[in-house]
Amino acid sequence: MARNKRCKPSLNHICPICCILPPHMSDQIVLNGDSTQKEWALQSIRASEQFRERRAIVGALNFNVAIAGEKRRTIFDAGTGTDLPGKRVRGEGDPPTGDVMVDEAYDGSGATYDFFYDIFERNSIDSFGMRLDSTVHFDQKYDNAFWNGSQMVYGDGDGELFNRFTISIDIIGHELTHGVTQHEAGLVYKGQPGALNESMSDVFGSLIKQRTLNQTAEEADWLIGAGLLTDKVDGTALRSMKAPGTAYDDKVLGKDPQPADMSKIYTGKADNGGVHINSGIPNRAFYLAASEMGGYAWEKAGKIWYIALTDRLRSQSNFKRAANTTVTIAGELYGRDSDEKKAVQNAWKTVGVI
Amino acid sequence: MRVTFERSGGFAGLIVTTSVDTATLPATETEQLQHLVQSANFFGLPAEIPAAPQPDRFQYEITIEDGNQHHTVRVGEASVPESLRPLLNWCMEKARRG
Repeated sequence: MARNKRCKPSLNHICPICCILPPHMSDQIVLNGDSTQKEWALQSIRASEQFRERRAIVGALNFNVAIAGEKRRTIFDAGTGTDLPGKRVRGEGDPPTGDVMVDEAYDGSGATYDFFYDIFERNSIDSFGMRLDSTVHFDQKYDNAFWNGSQMVYGDGDGELFNRFTISIDIIGHELTHGVTQHEAGLVYKGQPGALNESMSDVFGSLIKQRTLNQTAEEADWLIGAGLLTDKVDGTALRSMKAPGTAYDDKVLGKDPQPADMSKIYTGKADNGGVHINSGIPNRAFYLAASEMGGYAWEKAGKIWYIALTDRLRSQSNFKRAANTTVTIAGELYGRDSDEKKAVQNAWKTVGVI
Repeated sequence: MRVTFERSGGFAGLIVTTSVDTATLPATETEQLQHLVQSANFFGLPAEIPAAPQPDRFQYEITIEDGNQHHTVRVGEASVPESLRPLLNWCMEKARRG
Protein backbone atom coordinates (compact mmCIF):
# COMPACT_ATOMS: atom_id res chain seq x y z
CA MET A 1 0.00 0.00 0.00
CA ALA A 2 1.36 3.43 -0.95
CA ARG A 3 1.85 5.74 1.99
CA ASN A 4 1.43 9.47 1.84
CA LYS A 5 4.65 10.99 3.19
CA ARG A 6 2.95 14.21 4.13
CA CYS A 7 0.61 12.41 6.45
CA LYS A 8 1.89 12.06 9.96
CA PRO A 9 -0.12 10.29 12.63
CA SER A 10 -1.66 12.90 14.86
CA LEU A 11 -4.79 12.94 16.91
CA ASN A 12 -5.74 16.29 15.34
CA HIS A 13 -5.29 15.11 11.81
CA ILE A 14 -7.77 12.66 10.43
CA CYS A 15 -6.31 10.66 7.58
CA PRO A 16 -7.56 7.12 7.89
CA ILE A 17 -6.28 5.89 4.54
CA CYS A 18 -2.60 6.44 5.06
CA CYS A 19 -2.21 6.41 8.83
CA ILE A 20 -3.09 3.10 10.29
CA LEU A 21 -2.53 2.54 13.96
CA PRO A 22 -1.41 -0.71 15.50
CA PRO A 23 -4.69 -2.39 16.51
CA HIS A 24 -3.97 -2.40 20.25
CA MET A 25 -3.46 1.37 20.16
CA SER A 26 -6.65 1.97 18.20
CA ASP A 27 -8.57 -0.21 20.62
CA GLN A 28 -7.26 1.71 23.61
CA ILE A 29 -8.22 5.00 22.01
CA VAL A 30 -11.68 3.71 21.20
CA LEU A 31 -12.08 2.70 24.81
CA ASN A 32 -10.49 5.70 26.49
CA GLY A 33 -10.14 8.56 24.00
CA ASP A 34 -12.34 11.63 23.63
CA SER A 35 -14.95 11.73 20.88
CA THR A 36 -12.64 13.05 18.15
CA GLN A 37 -9.95 10.56 19.03
CA LYS A 38 -12.51 7.77 19.10
CA GLU A 39 -13.84 8.65 15.67
CA TRP A 40 -10.34 8.77 14.25
CA ALA A 41 -9.30 5.48 15.82
CA LEU A 42 -12.45 3.75 14.62
CA GLN A 43 -11.77 5.01 11.12
CA SER A 44 -8.27 3.55 11.29
CA ILE A 45 -9.65 0.22 12.42
CA ARG A 46 -12.21 0.18 9.60
CA ALA A 47 -9.56 1.10 7.06
CA SER A 48 -7.19 -1.68 8.06
CA GLU A 49 -10.02 -4.20 7.88
CA GLN A 50 -11.09 -2.95 4.48
CA PHE A 51 -7.57 -3.31 3.13
CA ARG A 52 -7.49 -6.93 4.18
CA GLU A 53 -9.85 -7.67 1.36
CA ARG A 54 -7.13 -6.49 -1.04
CA ARG A 55 -9.52 -4.73 -3.35
CA ALA A 56 -7.80 -1.61 -4.53
CA ILE A 57 -11.05 0.25 -4.96
CA VAL A 58 -10.45 3.24 -2.76
CA GLY A 59 -13.68 4.84 -3.91
CA ALA A 60 -15.66 1.90 -2.63
CA LEU A 61 -14.18 2.08 0.86
CA ASN A 62 -16.66 2.89 3.53
CA PHE A 63 -15.26 4.63 6.56
CA ASN A 64 -18.53 4.92 8.38
CA VAL A 65 -18.60 3.32 11.77
CA ALA A 66 -20.37 -0.03 11.52
CA ILE A 67 -23.77 0.08 13.09
CA ALA A 68 -24.07 -2.21 16.09
CA GLY A 69 -26.13 -5.27 15.23
CA GLU A 70 -25.30 -5.09 11.52
CA LYS A 71 -23.16 -7.92 10.30
CA ARG A 72 -20.71 -7.56 7.45
CA ARG A 73 -20.07 -11.02 6.03
CA THR A 74 -18.00 -11.80 2.96
CA ILE A 75 -17.34 -15.28 1.62
CA PHE A 76 -14.38 -16.00 -0.64
CA ASP A 77 -13.55 -19.08 -2.72
CA ALA A 78 -9.92 -20.28 -2.80
CA GLY A 79 -10.75 -22.67 -5.68
CA THR A 80 -8.71 -25.48 -4.00
CA GLY A 81 -5.66 -23.19 -3.95
CA THR A 82 -3.96 -21.75 -0.87
CA ASP A 83 -3.93 -18.02 -1.64
CA LEU A 84 -6.05 -16.02 0.83
CA PRO A 85 -8.62 -14.67 0.78
CA GLY A 86 -9.47 -15.89 -2.77
CA LYS A 87 -12.25 -14.78 -5.10
CA ARG A 88 -15.17 -12.91 -3.52
CA VAL A 89 -18.34 -14.93 -4.11
CA ARG A 90 -20.95 -13.67 -1.63
CA GLY A 91 -21.34 -10.43 0.31
CA GLU A 92 -23.74 -9.25 3.00
CA GLY A 93 -27.35 -9.46 1.82
CA ASP A 94 -26.53 -11.35 -1.38
CA PRO A 95 -28.80 -14.33 -2.16
CA PRO A 96 -27.59 -17.93 -1.68
CA THR A 97 -25.10 -19.05 -4.33
CA GLY A 98 -26.03 -22.73 -4.43
CA ASP A 99 -22.50 -23.68 -3.36
CA VAL A 100 -23.23 -25.44 -0.08
CA MET A 101 -19.92 -24.44 1.56
CA VAL A 102 -20.34 -20.78 0.63
CA ASP A 103 -23.87 -20.71 2.00
CA GLU A 104 -23.05 -22.66 5.17
CA ALA A 105 -20.14 -20.32 5.91
CA TYR A 106 -22.44 -17.33 5.34
CA ASP A 107 -25.27 -18.66 7.52
CA GLY A 108 -22.95 -20.00 10.23
CA SER A 109 -21.01 -16.77 10.61
CA GLY A 110 -24.36 -14.95 10.74
CA ALA A 111 -25.61 -17.22 13.54
CA THR A 112 -22.35 -16.66 15.40
CA TYR A 113 -22.56 -12.88 15.04
CA ASP A 114 -26.19 -12.92 16.22
CA PHE A 115 -25.34 -15.11 19.21
CA PHE A 116 -22.63 -12.78 20.53
CA TYR A 117 -24.70 -9.68 19.78
CA ASP A 118 -28.06 -10.87 21.15
CA ILE A 119 -26.74 -12.62 24.25
CA PHE A 120 -23.70 -10.52 25.23
CA GLU A 121 -24.24 -7.30 23.24
CA ARG A 122 -20.92 -7.93 21.56
CA ASN A 123 -20.58 -6.27 18.14
CA SER A 124 -18.60 -8.91 16.19
CA ILE A 125 -15.25 -10.54 16.92
CA ASP A 126 -13.43 -7.43 18.08
CA SER A 127 -16.56 -5.82 19.62
CA PHE A 128 -16.14 -2.92 17.14
CA GLY A 129 -18.09 -4.45 14.25
CA MET A 130 -15.20 -6.21 12.54
CA ARG A 131 -15.92 -7.73 9.13
CA LEU A 132 -16.49 -11.49 9.07
CA ASP A 133 -14.44 -12.90 6.22
CA SER A 134 -14.48 -16.60 5.38
CA THR A 135 -12.66 -18.55 2.69
CA VAL A 136 -14.02 -21.92 1.54
CA HIS A 137 -12.56 -24.62 -0.75
CA PHE A 138 -9.09 -23.98 0.68
CA ASP A 139 -6.38 -26.31 -0.68
CA GLN A 140 -7.03 -29.80 -2.08
CA LYS A 141 -8.91 -32.33 0.08
CA TYR A 142 -7.85 -30.23 3.05
CA ASP A 143 -8.89 -31.91 6.32
CA ASN A 144 -9.05 -28.78 8.43
CA ALA A 145 -10.49 -25.40 9.30
CA PHE A 146 -8.60 -22.59 11.02
CA TRP A 147 -8.55 -18.96 12.11
CA ASN A 148 -5.50 -17.17 10.66
CA GLY A 149 -5.70 -14.12 12.90
CA SER A 150 -8.07 -12.15 10.68
CA GLN A 151 -10.37 -14.59 8.89
CA MET A 152 -11.84 -18.09 8.87
CA VAL A 153 -10.63 -20.76 6.44
CA TYR A 154 -12.38 -24.05 5.60
CA GLY A 155 -11.22 -27.12 3.69
CA ASP A 156 -13.38 -29.48 1.61
CA GLY A 157 -12.24 -32.54 3.58
CA ASP A 158 -10.82 -35.61 1.85
CA GLY A 159 -14.24 -37.25 1.41
CA GLU A 160 -12.90 -40.54 2.80
CA LEU A 161 -12.67 -39.66 6.49
CA PHE A 162 -13.84 -36.06 6.64
CA ASN A 163 -16.71 -34.22 5.02
CA ARG A 164 -16.58 -30.47 4.32
CA PHE A 165 -15.59 -28.39 7.36
CA THR A 166 -18.57 -26.03 7.12
CA ILE A 167 -20.98 -28.93 7.73
CA SER A 168 -21.37 -28.32 11.46
CA ILE A 169 -22.29 -24.88 12.81
CA ASP A 170 -20.25 -25.42 15.97
CA ILE A 171 -17.08 -25.59 13.83
CA ILE A 172 -17.87 -22.14 12.42
CA GLY A 173 -18.61 -20.84 15.92
CA HIS A 174 -15.38 -22.46 17.13
CA GLU A 175 -13.26 -20.64 14.54
CA LEU A 176 -14.89 -17.25 15.15
CA THR A 177 -14.48 -17.64 18.91
CA HIS A 178 -10.73 -17.97 18.31
CA GLY A 179 -11.01 -14.41 17.02
CA VAL A 180 -12.87 -13.29 20.14
CA THR A 181 -10.23 -14.93 22.38
CA GLN A 182 -7.48 -13.24 20.37
CA HIS A 183 -9.07 -9.85 21.08
CA GLU A 184 -9.85 -10.58 24.73
CA ALA A 185 -7.96 -12.96 27.07
CA GLY A 186 -5.35 -13.60 24.35
CA LEU A 187 -4.70 -17.08 25.77
CA VAL A 188 -1.37 -18.30 24.35
CA TYR A 189 -1.80 -21.31 22.08
CA LYS A 190 0.30 -23.75 24.12
CA GLY A 191 -0.10 -26.00 27.13
CA GLN A 192 -2.96 -25.28 29.55
CA PRO A 193 -3.66 -21.72 28.34
CA GLY A 194 -3.80 -23.16 24.81
CA ALA A 195 -6.21 -25.90 25.94
CA LEU A 196 -8.36 -23.19 27.57
CA ASN A 197 -8.26 -21.26 24.29
CA GLU A 198 -9.47 -24.40 22.48
CA SER A 199 -12.09 -25.07 25.14
CA MET A 200 -13.52 -21.54 24.86
CA SER A 201 -13.95 -22.16 21.13
CA ASP A 202 -15.71 -25.47 21.77
CA VAL A 203 -17.89 -23.98 24.53
CA PHE A 204 -19.17 -21.05 22.45
CA GLY A 205 -19.27 -23.16 19.26
CA SER A 206 -21.56 -25.59 21.07
CA LEU A 207 -23.65 -22.79 22.59
CA ILE A 208 -24.19 -21.27 19.13
CA LYS A 209 -25.43 -24.64 17.90
CA GLN A 210 -27.66 -25.08 20.96
CA ARG A 211 -29.21 -21.64 20.51
CA THR A 212 -29.79 -22.27 16.80
CA LEU A 213 -31.60 -25.51 17.69
CA ASN A 214 -33.29 -23.94 20.74
CA GLN A 215 -31.97 -26.70 23.02
CA THR A 216 -31.57 -26.73 26.79
CA ALA A 217 -28.43 -28.14 28.42
CA GLU A 218 -30.27 -31.42 28.88
CA GLU A 219 -31.43 -31.63 25.25
CA ALA A 220 -28.08 -30.73 23.67
CA ASP A 221 -25.72 -33.41 22.33
CA TRP A 222 -22.59 -31.52 23.52
CA LEU A 223 -20.71 -32.85 20.48
CA ILE A 224 -18.16 -30.90 18.47
CA GLY A 225 -18.10 -31.62 14.75
CA ALA A 226 -21.14 -33.90 14.52
CA GLY A 227 -21.59 -34.82 10.84
CA LEU A 228 -17.97 -34.04 9.97
CA LEU A 229 -16.83 -37.68 9.97
CA THR A 230 -17.97 -39.73 6.96
CA ASP A 231 -20.03 -42.93 7.17
CA LYS A 232 -16.81 -44.93 6.79
CA VAL A 233 -15.58 -43.79 10.22
CA ASP A 234 -16.65 -45.36 13.52
CA GLY A 235 -17.52 -42.22 15.42
CA THR A 236 -20.23 -39.64 16.00
CA ALA A 237 -18.09 -36.48 16.16
CA LEU A 238 -14.59 -35.20 16.92
CA ARG A 239 -15.07 -34.33 20.57
CA SER A 240 -17.65 -34.89 23.26
CA MET A 241 -17.87 -32.22 25.95
CA LYS A 242 -20.12 -34.47 27.99
CA ALA A 243 -17.89 -37.54 27.80
CA PRO A 244 -14.42 -36.61 26.54
CA GLY A 245 -12.60 -39.57 24.99
CA THR A 246 -15.73 -41.24 23.56
CA ALA A 247 -16.40 -39.32 20.33
CA TYR A 248 -14.78 -41.89 18.01
CA ASP A 249 -12.92 -45.18 18.07
CA ASP A 250 -11.88 -46.10 14.56
CA LYS A 251 -9.31 -48.35 12.90
CA VAL A 252 -7.90 -45.50 10.81
CA LEU A 253 -8.41 -42.47 13.06
CA GLY A 254 -7.64 -44.33 16.29
CA LYS A 255 -9.43 -43.51 19.53
CA ASP A 256 -10.53 -40.09 20.78
CA PRO A 257 -7.55 -39.09 23.00
CA GLN A 258 -9.31 -36.53 25.22
CA PRO A 259 -8.99 -36.95 29.01
CA ALA A 260 -12.14 -36.48 31.09
CA ASP A 261 -10.25 -35.31 34.19
CA MET A 262 -6.84 -34.21 35.45
CA SER A 263 -5.66 -37.74 36.25
CA LYS A 264 -5.18 -38.41 32.52
CA ILE A 265 -3.88 -35.00 31.41
CA TYR A 266 -1.61 -35.22 28.36
CA THR A 267 1.94 -33.93 28.98
CA GLY A 268 3.60 -34.59 25.61
CA LYS A 269 4.78 -32.05 23.03
CA ALA A 270 2.44 -32.88 20.14
CA ASP A 271 -0.38 -30.48 19.26
CA ASN A 272 1.32 -27.54 21.00
CA GLY A 273 1.28 -29.48 24.24
CA GLY A 274 -2.09 -31.13 23.65
CA VAL A 275 -4.30 -28.07 23.16
CA HIS A 276 -6.96 -30.15 21.33
CA ILE A 277 -6.48 -33.04 23.77
CA ASN A 278 -6.57 -31.44 27.21
CA SER A 279 -9.41 -29.09 26.20
CA GLY A 280 -11.57 -32.09 27.18
CA ILE A 281 -11.05 -31.23 30.85
CA PRO A 282 -12.41 -27.63 30.84
CA ASN A 283 -14.99 -28.68 28.21
CA ARG A 284 -16.42 -31.24 30.62
CA ALA A 285 -16.31 -28.72 33.49
CA PHE A 286 -18.49 -26.38 31.42
CA TYR A 287 -20.90 -29.18 30.52
CA LEU A 288 -21.19 -30.26 34.20
CA ALA A 289 -21.76 -26.69 35.44
CA ALA A 290 -24.35 -25.93 32.74
CA SER A 291 -26.18 -29.22 33.32
CA GLU A 292 -26.37 -28.72 37.07
CA MET A 293 -27.79 -25.22 36.52
CA GLY A 294 -30.27 -26.48 33.93
CA GLY A 295 -32.13 -24.47 31.29
CA TYR A 296 -30.41 -22.84 28.33
CA ALA A 297 -26.67 -23.18 28.85
CA TRP A 298 -25.87 -19.76 27.40
CA GLU A 299 -27.98 -17.92 29.96
CA LYS A 300 -25.98 -18.60 33.12
CA ALA A 301 -22.95 -20.86 32.54
CA GLY A 302 -22.32 -19.15 29.19
CA LYS A 303 -22.45 -15.73 30.81
CA ILE A 304 -19.97 -16.75 33.53
CA TRP A 305 -17.54 -18.15 30.96
CA TYR A 306 -17.97 -15.10 28.70
CA ILE A 307 -17.07 -12.70 31.53
CA ALA A 308 -14.04 -14.86 32.35
CA LEU A 309 -12.92 -14.78 28.70
CA THR A 310 -13.44 -11.07 28.15
CA ASP A 311 -12.61 -9.57 31.58
CA ARG A 312 -10.69 -11.85 33.87
CA LEU A 313 -8.47 -14.41 32.14
CA ARG A 314 -5.03 -13.41 30.90
CA SER A 315 -2.69 -14.83 28.26
CA GLN A 316 -0.99 -17.30 30.62
CA SER A 317 -4.03 -18.39 32.64
CA ASN A 318 -4.10 -22.10 33.46
CA PHE A 319 -6.97 -24.46 34.39
CA LYS A 320 -6.79 -23.61 38.08
CA ARG A 321 -6.99 -19.90 37.33
CA ALA A 322 -9.99 -20.51 35.06
CA ALA A 323 -11.66 -22.59 37.77
CA ASN A 324 -11.15 -20.02 40.53
CA THR A 325 -12.16 -17.17 38.21
CA THR A 326 -15.41 -18.77 37.06
CA VAL A 327 -16.31 -19.69 40.67
CA THR A 328 -15.71 -16.06 41.70
CA ILE A 329 -17.80 -14.70 38.82
CA ALA A 330 -20.65 -17.11 39.62
CA GLY A 331 -20.59 -15.81 43.20
CA GLU A 332 -20.63 -12.18 42.03
CA LEU A 333 -23.52 -12.74 39.62
CA TYR A 334 -25.72 -15.11 41.61
CA GLY A 335 -24.62 -14.81 45.23
CA ARG A 336 -21.96 -16.29 47.48
CA ASP A 337 -24.13 -19.21 48.54
CA SER A 338 -25.94 -19.62 45.24
CA ASP A 339 -26.63 -22.91 43.49
CA GLU A 340 -24.91 -21.49 40.43
CA LYS A 341 -21.66 -20.94 42.33
CA LYS A 342 -21.88 -24.46 43.78
CA ALA A 343 -22.50 -25.88 40.31
CA VAL A 344 -19.31 -24.27 38.98
CA GLN A 345 -17.34 -25.44 42.03
CA ASN A 346 -18.67 -29.00 41.72
CA ALA A 347 -17.85 -29.08 38.03
CA TRP A 348 -14.18 -28.16 38.46
CA LYS A 349 -13.90 -30.54 41.44
CA THR A 350 -15.30 -33.42 39.40
CA VAL A 351 -12.66 -32.93 36.71
CA GLY A 352 -9.96 -32.68 39.38
CA VAL A 353 -8.84 -29.09 38.83
CA ILE A 354 -9.78 -27.81 42.33
CA MET B 1 17.96 -44.00 6.52
CA ARG B 2 15.11 -43.93 9.04
CA VAL B 3 12.36 -41.30 9.00
CA THR B 4 9.91 -40.73 11.86
CA PHE B 5 7.02 -38.41 11.08
CA GLU B 6 4.23 -36.95 13.19
CA ARG B 7 1.45 -34.52 12.30
CA SER B 8 -0.64 -33.24 15.21
CA GLY B 9 -3.13 -30.46 15.82
CA GLY B 10 -5.63 -29.16 13.33
CA PHE B 11 -9.26 -28.60 14.31
CA ALA B 12 -9.64 -32.37 14.69
CA GLY B 13 -6.58 -32.68 16.93
CA LEU B 14 -5.62 -36.06 15.42
CA ILE B 15 -2.09 -37.34 15.82
CA VAL B 16 -0.91 -39.05 12.63
CA THR B 17 2.43 -40.89 12.78
CA THR B 18 4.52 -43.03 10.47
CA SER B 19 8.01 -44.51 10.42
CA VAL B 20 9.92 -45.40 7.29
CA ASP B 21 13.15 -47.39 7.03
CA THR B 22 14.78 -47.37 3.61
CA ALA B 23 16.01 -50.93 4.28
CA THR B 24 12.43 -52.07 3.70
CA LEU B 25 11.58 -49.71 0.81
CA PRO B 26 11.72 -50.48 -2.92
CA ALA B 27 14.79 -48.89 -4.56
CA THR B 28 12.75 -46.32 -6.49
CA GLU B 29 11.07 -45.04 -3.33
CA THR B 30 14.38 -44.89 -1.46
CA GLU B 31 15.80 -42.79 -4.27
CA GLN B 32 12.75 -40.53 -4.19
CA LEU B 33 13.00 -40.08 -0.42
CA GLN B 34 16.74 -39.32 -0.54
CA HIS B 35 16.09 -36.72 -3.20
CA LEU B 36 13.35 -35.06 -1.07
CA VAL B 37 15.60 -35.00 2.02
CA GLN B 38 18.42 -33.43 -0.01
CA SER B 39 16.32 -30.78 -1.71
CA ALA B 40 14.82 -29.82 1.67
CA ASN B 41 18.41 -29.41 2.98
CA PHE B 42 16.92 -31.23 5.96
CA PHE B 43 20.08 -31.50 8.06
CA GLY B 44 20.65 -27.77 7.60
CA LEU B 45 17.21 -26.76 8.93
CA PRO B 46 16.81 -25.39 12.46
CA ALA B 47 15.36 -27.77 15.07
CA GLU B 48 12.46 -25.38 15.69
CA ILE B 49 11.08 -23.21 12.90
CA PRO B 50 9.30 -20.44 14.79
CA ALA B 51 5.93 -19.04 13.77
CA ALA B 52 3.20 -16.92 15.22
CA PRO B 53 0.84 -19.74 16.13
CA GLN B 54 -2.47 -19.80 14.30
CA PRO B 55 -5.29 -21.66 16.03
CA ASP B 56 -6.19 -25.08 14.60
CA ARG B 57 -3.28 -25.35 12.19
CA PHE B 58 -1.23 -28.53 11.90
CA GLN B 59 2.06 -29.08 13.70
CA TYR B 60 4.77 -31.32 12.23
CA GLU B 61 7.70 -33.15 13.79
CA ILE B 62 10.07 -35.10 11.59
CA THR B 63 13.21 -36.97 12.66
CA ILE B 64 15.73 -38.43 10.24
CA GLU B 65 18.64 -40.75 11.06
CA ASP B 66 21.12 -41.33 8.24
CA GLY B 67 24.52 -42.86 9.00
CA ASN B 68 25.96 -40.69 11.77
CA GLN B 69 23.56 -37.84 11.09
CA HIS B 70 20.51 -37.41 13.33
CA HIS B 71 18.20 -34.42 13.23
CA THR B 72 14.68 -33.43 14.34
CA VAL B 73 12.70 -30.51 12.92
CA ARG B 74 9.49 -29.13 14.48
CA VAL B 75 7.45 -26.74 12.38
CA GLY B 76 3.95 -25.28 12.28
CA GLU B 77 1.89 -25.50 9.09
CA ALA B 78 1.92 -21.73 8.55
CA SER B 79 5.73 -21.54 8.43
CA VAL B 80 6.72 -24.69 6.52
CA PRO B 81 9.55 -23.74 4.10
CA GLU B 82 8.58 -24.40 0.46
CA SER B 83 11.62 -26.70 0.14
CA LEU B 84 10.38 -28.92 2.99
CA ARG B 85 6.76 -29.19 1.87
CA PRO B 86 7.27 -32.07 -0.66
CA LEU B 87 8.96 -34.20 2.03
CA LEU B 88 6.09 -33.58 4.47
CA ASN B 89 3.55 -34.42 1.76
CA TRP B 90 5.43 -37.62 0.96
CA CYS B 91 5.42 -38.66 4.65
CA MET B 92 1.74 -37.78 5.00
CA GLU B 93 0.93 -39.93 1.96
CA LYS B 94 2.88 -42.82 3.55
CA ALA B 95 0.94 -42.36 6.79
CA ARG B 96 -2.38 -42.40 4.92
CA ARG B 97 -1.57 -45.62 3.08
CA GLY B 98 -0.43 -47.23 6.36
